[in-house]
Amino acid sequence: MSAVLELDGVSRVFGGLRAVDGVTLTVGSGITALIGPNGAGKTTLFNLMSGLLPVSAGRIRFRGQDITGLSAHRRARLGMARTLQIKQVFAGLTVLDNAWIAARQRHRPLDPFRRASRDRVTRAAAEEALDAMGLLPLAAREAGSLAYGDVALLEIAMALATRPALLLLDEPVCGMSPAETERTVARIRAVSATTDVLIVEHDMDVVFGLADRVIVLAEGRVLADGPPAAIARNPQVREAYLGEEDAA
Amino acid sequence: MAEITTLALNGLAWGLIVALIALGLSVIFGLLDVINVAHGDFFMVGTVLAWVAVDATGSFAVALVLVPILGLLLGALTERIAIRPVLSTIVLTVVSTHGLGILMQEGVRATFGATPRRLVAPVGGTITLPGDVQYDVYRLVAAGAAALALLAFFAFQQRTRFGTWMRAVRHDRETATTLGIPVARVQLLTFSIGAGLALLGGVIAAPITTVDFRAGIEILPTCFMAVVVGGLGNLPGTAAAAVLLAVTEGVVSAFLDPSAARIVSLCLMCAVLFLRPHGLFAGARA
Repeated sequence: MSAVLELDGVSRVFGGLRAVDGVTLTVGSGITALIGPNGAGKTTLFNLMSGLLPVSAGRIRFRGQDITGLSAHRRARLGMARTLQIKQVFAGLTVLDNAWIAARQRHRPLDPFRRASRDRVTRAAAEEALDAMGLLPLAAREAGSLAYGDVALLEIAMALATRPALLLLDEPVCGMSPAETERTVARIRAVSATTDVLIVEHDMDVVFGLADRVIVLAEGRVLADGPPAAIARNPQVREAYLGEEDAA
Repeated sequence: MAEITTLALNGLAWGLIVALIALGLSVIFGLLDVINVAHGDFFMVGTVLAWVAVDATGSFAVALVLVPILGLLLGALTERIAIRPVLSTIVLTVVSTHGLGILMQEGVRATFGATPRRLVAPVGGTITLPGDVQYDVYRLVAAGAAALALLAFFAFQQRTRFGTWMRAVRHDRETATTLGIPVARVQLLTFSIGAGLALLGGVIAAPITTVDFRAGIEILPTCFMAVVVGGLGNLPGTAAAAVLLAVTEGVVSAFLDPSAARIVSLCLMCAVLFLRPHGLFAGARA
């Protein structure tokens, strides 16, 4: 399996708290899920990967390039797109404008004399991303008026519109109804045919139904890493994480 | 009637210049959440530099090209030194820009002097308008130049990739970052553009106002009124409100003294805030 993202001894310290502690892992093709109990360091690790937080120690490589010191927007331009735990889109703009802004980062050089509406390449990329998420019929709607599930899909569509090599999804179905969850899972599965996906998710049905590989994080360290079936049988994981689910 | 027409045209010309300056204030507030208390002083520096440039070269065109460029550089420098270090604590940016304003005022007083000066208009004479109104040619030129600059700014914002970045960062910085937009660079250039607009307004206004180190203090409240009436962060609304307020004040000053006309403007602002708390043009797409 070729690794698109490699972490080598990555740590992050907040004062006296070691939130991420020497994590070494690779993310390859298909869908990889990152799970762990609350406070395990999943979102911190996501932020370290995407550059929203700097590492305290360790190296990060993306598509063979050392990106440890790169800012978040430079990593995004290299092809690492992410969504945020709290769903955020440009609420005052239309759905198409949201995707268009994302697509324009890749497709349109500085060109002050070209009308945006005539920018067919960017528009096509935006529409393609919206179509992949089933949002094309809502293209003219203001993003702020969308249902929660559609906002989450729009956020993924915006990430897709940048044509990423790796898509980081932070709790993509959090707060969704069962119907919205089912629809979103199907869209993510379809996307994974062309784009590698790393997903942080608390819904175990989603994780084990969707992921090709599961990495378990506990107390900032990698506890287990393997296929979903093996992770489900792992006694350490059951004790540290799945046990909590059973108890709940 | 001729007097009312003249005062209305004065209001229109001044309103378009104020719109340019207020637009700078609004774009900085909208994108960085910074209330730039020194913004009027950037305008003042523009008038002073215009005077200096014309005095040194004898050419108003040189001032018109050079001073806004200096404004861009001054804005970039200000963002790096006075804004970025305190950007995480917005209230400190008020303190920081207030101090910057004092520095600019005292710097100009120490070097340029405290005596108000006048800059001769590059285009003299009057033109006869319908209704037998004799009107200063330069004021029409100034209104046209300000209107062109406004259109150029909106075209820049709507049609360039940087303009797209500005709109995206204004809506949501974190999402913009995840999409690959260089937020810090956008903030730097936005502040720079805001300052550049203020200095450009200063150059255009210099021949129809006094060149004085206190000019910034006088114009800042008018700019704030335009930003508030137009809707915070609403750029076309800000420009429209600046023109509306200035024309209203101009027409009212035909019947009342200038102080009373200003009071009418303030009453108008109060009425707008009472009836439409988010501004006269709230809901309009920026």
